[in-house]
Amino acid sequence: MRQGVVYINTNFSSVSGFDAERDSMRTCLLSPLPSLPFVSSQPVPLPFPMAHGTTTLAFVFQGGVLAAADTRSSCSGLVACPASQKILPIHSHLVGTTSGTSADCALWKRILSRELRLYQLRNGRRLSTSGAAKLLSHMLHPFKGTELCVAATLCGWDDHTSLSGPSLFYVCSDGSRLQGTLFSVGSGSPYAYSILDQGVQWGLTVAEATSIAREAVYRATHRDAYSGNCVDVYHVTSQGWTRRTREDLKEEYYREKESRRQTHEAEKKML
Amino acid sequence: MALASVLSGECADFSLDFRQPFGHNCGPGQSGAECDAAPGDSVSFSVKNPMLAGDDDGVERKIEFLHGTTTLAFKFEHGVIVAVDSRATAGSYIASQTVKKVIEINPYLLGTMAGGAADCSFWERLLARQCRIYELRNKERISVAAASKLLANMVYQYKGMGLSMGTMVCGWDKRGPASCTGCCLKMGSLSTCQLIDEVEGAAVGLHHTPLRRQDSAWLYYVDSEGNRVCGDLFAVGSGSMYAYGVMDSGLRQDLTVDEACELGRRAIYQATFRDAYSGGQVNLYHVHSGGWTRISQEDVLMLHQKYRDQA
Repeated sequence: MRQGVVYINTNFSSVSGFDAERDSMRTCLLSPLPSLPFVSSQPVPLPFPMAHGTTTLAFVFQGGVLAAADTRSSCSGLVACPASQKILPIHSHLVGTTSGTSADCALWKRILSRELRLYQLRNGRRLSTSGAAKLLSHMLHPFKGTELCVAATLCGWDDHTSLSGPSLFYVCSDGSRLQGTLFSVGSGSPYAYSILDQGVQWGLTVAEATSIAREAVYRATHRDAYSGNCVDVYHVTSQGWTRRTREDLKEEYYREKESRRQTHEAEKKML
Repeated sequence: MALASVLSGECADFSLDFRQPFGHNCGPGQSGAECDAAPGDSVSFSVKNPMLAGDDDGVERKIEFLHGTTTLAFKFEHGVIVAVDSRATAGSYIASQTVKKVIEINPYLLGTMAGGAADCSFWERLLARQCRIYELRNKERISVAAASKLLANMVYQYKGMGLSMGTMVCGWDKRGPASCTGCCLKMGSLSTCQLIDEVEGAAVGLHHTPLRRQDSAWLYYVDSEGNRVCGDLFAVGSGSMYAYGVMDSGLRQDLTVDEACELGRRAIYQATFRDAYSGGQVNLYHVHSGGWTRISQEDVLMLHQKYRDQA
């Protein structure tokens, strides 16, 4: 028994007879997803105010795409999870950073992974980052005006397309879809932006880029209450994505404090 | 009323009937101006607070960012660096790119301006007047702590009435923390040492050294809510978050004056880069033992070229 159908608009299906096939698309895309009313009724208020508290960032450079994020999930004043995953791999050459409602992000990332895999099986090649971003954006469009909140950046490496190389897109549930070379999303993003704007250029080495990304997340977690705990860094290259070990920023704080204390002591001795 | 006594003239009587005009009655769903009149009650107006109603979706933001500006100040070994932008906006209209957001209270005290321009400049000029009166009465300079307290107390009387001001009072004075060179610690009590100091001489054969007052730079944040906080580093305004990132990352105690100036300049530049409500020029001041010095005024677009060429 069909509960209901979520109509997912796919824009890359076979061009001819698209309209005719729409119904069959609809049936074959039916899935055990909860049914949603087509007419937007009164939005159900959230049980508690969700803070879109996070710091995620991503930028493109000569060595690929670097994505970094903190690991704190918060619900108003409570740290619901100090070790959450905000960067989710979508496939071997695409990762997505998430911001907004964690549940929405996790679900839509999985839906996106599934759709991209289906595309790959049907067409024998991976969809480009641009196409993936467009797909996600169109999938989120029917929910515009509802409480859905997803602000993601898709970081990937494209092969076999006319524009191959690193690629970065920002997709948001309010409908934005932007290509860029540097994005930071979340409540801690202003703090991160100022660090990134200072240091990010095309010619960075991988080590320098990692260091800037870590520093930006660290400064944001230092000032923003809704960001904190650890930092995850993912690096996407032509070989795929690699993940750096998760690092606790508390240690970074103490290391910095210690080194400042030492320089202060050394100075006092000199005087 | 304080304002009346200062202006020593007649002014409108803002009596206590004007109950809670801002803040408490506002929220999503409140229409423009409502008039609640209950029998036997004086009329009260609840007006939609323009500061709170920032978004059209009616969501009441808990964190209110002070208005379009970026001002910052930080302490370091050689004093205090104060850096500000110079843009004034009225909604999305840029009213001016050449506003002076640092107010020179007297030759050794500076005040920065964030929030309502009129509020800031009026109250800081009033503060300048009060500081001068103090100097004349007491034949010595006012301390930064006292000056900032005067300002905080003045605006506290108008709390809830819609003043909008987030300012930093920076200066250098001799009223630093009294530090004893250690004898009172040996005796275990500061007051004993003070007593000996007043008596002017080693009494009962106790070894002592007089309390030494250190010269020091001071930085206070004062706002229209009545907050007054002493600290080492503050940034105020819509661009403050961007400035914090740069300042936190570059600030060290052992900066030279030039490095500190460059840090302040860079922090304001990064804020103007991302924040639409900040821009214009970066005005930089350095507060040291001899008072304050105006270091530079540089256009943000020139800085953009400079940093791009450097990179």
